[in-house]
Amino acid sequence: MSFAANLILASVRMAVPLLFIALAELYSERAGMVNIGLEGLAAIGSLVGFLVCFITGSAWLGILAGAVAALAVNMIYAFATVTLCANQIVYGMAINIFAPALASFIYRVYFGSGSELSQITLMSGIGIPGLKDIPFLGDLLFNQTPMVYLAYLLVIVTVIYFGKTRSGLNFKSVGEHPKAAATLGIPVIRVKYIACMLCGALAGIGGAYLTTCYANTYTEGNVAGRGFIALAAVIFGRWTGGGILLACLFFGFCDALQIRLQVANFGLPYQFFQMIPYIATVVVLSLIGSKKAGPRAGGQPYRREER
Amino acid sequence: MKKLIALLLAAVMLLGLAACAAKTDTAASAPAASASAAASTPAASTSAAASAAAASGDLTGTKDFKVAMICDSSISDGGWGMACYNAMVDACKKTGWSYEVTDSIDQSAYYESIVAYCSLGYNLIYAPGNQYTDAVLQAADEYPDIAFALLNGGEDTPAKAANKNVTSLLPNAQQIGWIAGSLAGLMTQSNTIAFIGGMELDTTLGKYKGYTEAAQFVGKAEGKDIKVLDPVYAGSFSATDKGIEFAKAMIDQGADVFFGDASAVDSGARQAIDEANKAAGSVKIYDIGQPSDLLGQNECVICSQVTDNSSLVALSMDAVEKGTFGGEVIYGTLQNGVLSAGKMNDLIPADVQTKYLDYIDQMTKETFMK
Repeated sequence: MSFAANLILASVRMAVPLLFIALAELYSERAGMVNIGLEGLAAIGSLVGFLVCFITGSAWLGILAGAVAALAVNMIYAFATVTLCANQIVYGMAINIFAPALASFIYRVYFGSGSELSQITLMSGIGIPGLKDIPFLGDLLFNQTPMVYLAYLLVIVTVIYFGKTRSGLNFKSVGEHPKAAATLGIPVIRVKYIACMLCGALAGIGGAYLTTCYANTYTEGNVAGRGFIALAAVIFGRWTGGGILLACLFFGFCDALQIRLQVANFGLPYQFFQMIPYIATVVVLSLIGSKKAGPRAGGQPYRREER
Repeated sequence: MKKLIALLLAAVMLLGLAACAAKTDTAASAPAASASAAASTPAASTSAAASAAAASGDLTGTKDFKVAMICDSSISDGGWGMACYNAMVDACKKTGWSYEVTDSIDQSAYYESIVAYCSLGYNLIYAPGNQYTDAVLQAADEYPDIAFALLNGGEDTPAKAANKNVTSLLPNAQQIGWIAGSLAGLMTQSNTIAFIGGMELDTTLGKYKGYTEAAQFVGKAEGKDIKVLDPVYAGSFSATDKGIEFAKAMIDQGADVFFGDASAVDSGARQAIDEANKAAGSVKIYDIGQPSDLLGQNECVICSQVTDNSSLVALSMDAVEKGTFGGEVIYGTLQNGVLSAGKMNDLIPADVQTKYLDYIDQMTKETFMK
């Protein structure tokens, strides 16, 4: 395959975990819940996913367990910010510090002080008969793990849900103007809790993807900033499912590009290539501009009794 | 009431952080107990970290000497961290010392972790990597009575310590590169070989240089014109995903023998090589492990370059006991037995194994490439 085709395949590989985590943030922010704790949620999802896959041998159970674990951790955030109206940024950051530490703790408790490398069997890819043999597109779209198909599907579902369904519009109204939503009989608190549950589960799936579908070992710090990049992807994607897909593919592309260019070696210092993702981010940010497009009530606590 | 609950939640989180954040392990205590006894994190103050570590367990060594290791990668990374940790444990078994480790720490926590152990009165701080040099020198200046062993430290580093309490343990990077490069030169079929680095350290560059010159020298003797792809750097020792992507990209460039100096990044590369071999239906792309014998860990590993760091650490411990520690460079070479080639598997044909062992013999006798 050509350099370009391999590059695009690598971009997709690197974009998928990011996509799950960014969609997690989208659901959260659409209900007015700015959750910067994605890094921590993905970290706990990654560890629990690995651990369950290691014990049971099932990557699917690993994914499920990762989702449940991150959902549970995110309930701390939900309770503090929705019920107690605490500051969302502070609690998001607390999750970012707490959850990776908890993941390290659980790993060390389970695996003890041993220094053996623990490896699992990754989720197998499923090729769609007939379609997978199409040159290039077959590998890109129809010869992946089921989680990649799920990510694609999730984007479509998200676009339809927020754009075409009454429930989706109700959900968005909570993030735009919760008091108005409440006067229309929309259960604001319940929607916010559901958003937090979806956010936790999806971020956990994104983390678990790293250890059950991508790398067959667990390394502390393996989320490697994806939780923060996902936050940027939501902004780049203008809080839409399609936009987030493009943003995640863009970030995945930049990372894959710097790796491929380092290997191809054009006689330039490798540091130059390592700068690419950061330069691209700055350039795109300047092109996107600062026009406010996010939910208007994002980050604001909702107090039912308050005027 | 709500504020009170919020405060309580915050307190629970902070306590959780203090209890869980750092990963320590003592020779004596159970894993759960040792993990709860955090040594230090960027968030934890030195004094708090020190008192936590002090409570971490009884000493098991037969002597009243203690060594503490810090490591930025995990001790279960299947590579560098694992080998260095095992080296310390083995050395302690030989010498009767007690040990403790803090792993997976950020660069910002190097110094804090070291001084946490210093304040607890550890006799020796074992820092396995060139990247700890600045933190070690700073701590060595403040704790003149404590010995610091810097694995892969610079040749000039001990002289920079005013208190003469720093020793560099320096496995010969060129010989490490030779051990891997000569086998790569013999085994490559595509005549393209690869090297993956974690960070651009002097020792990494030394290994790459040795790897390149040995592969090309051996390749020439075999009638091959060997291309060594330029070294690539993940910018980290824990980015397994980068290792996967680097290996895939290098395989696309035709590389069929890999060597690395990148800890968990290497583990990712081996995963990608195994996947490529599986897709091809046979093992045609190989990896040379390091720094311990990794034969059997992955299908693609055909041999390892082995560094017996435990001998170097034991020498440091011996010097501390005798009061002669510091201000020197202890070299690890093929000649003194610290460096060696590990076991080989059947993927290396018998005649190639014989040739390879002959090259290793030449290196030991210092006649290689002469």
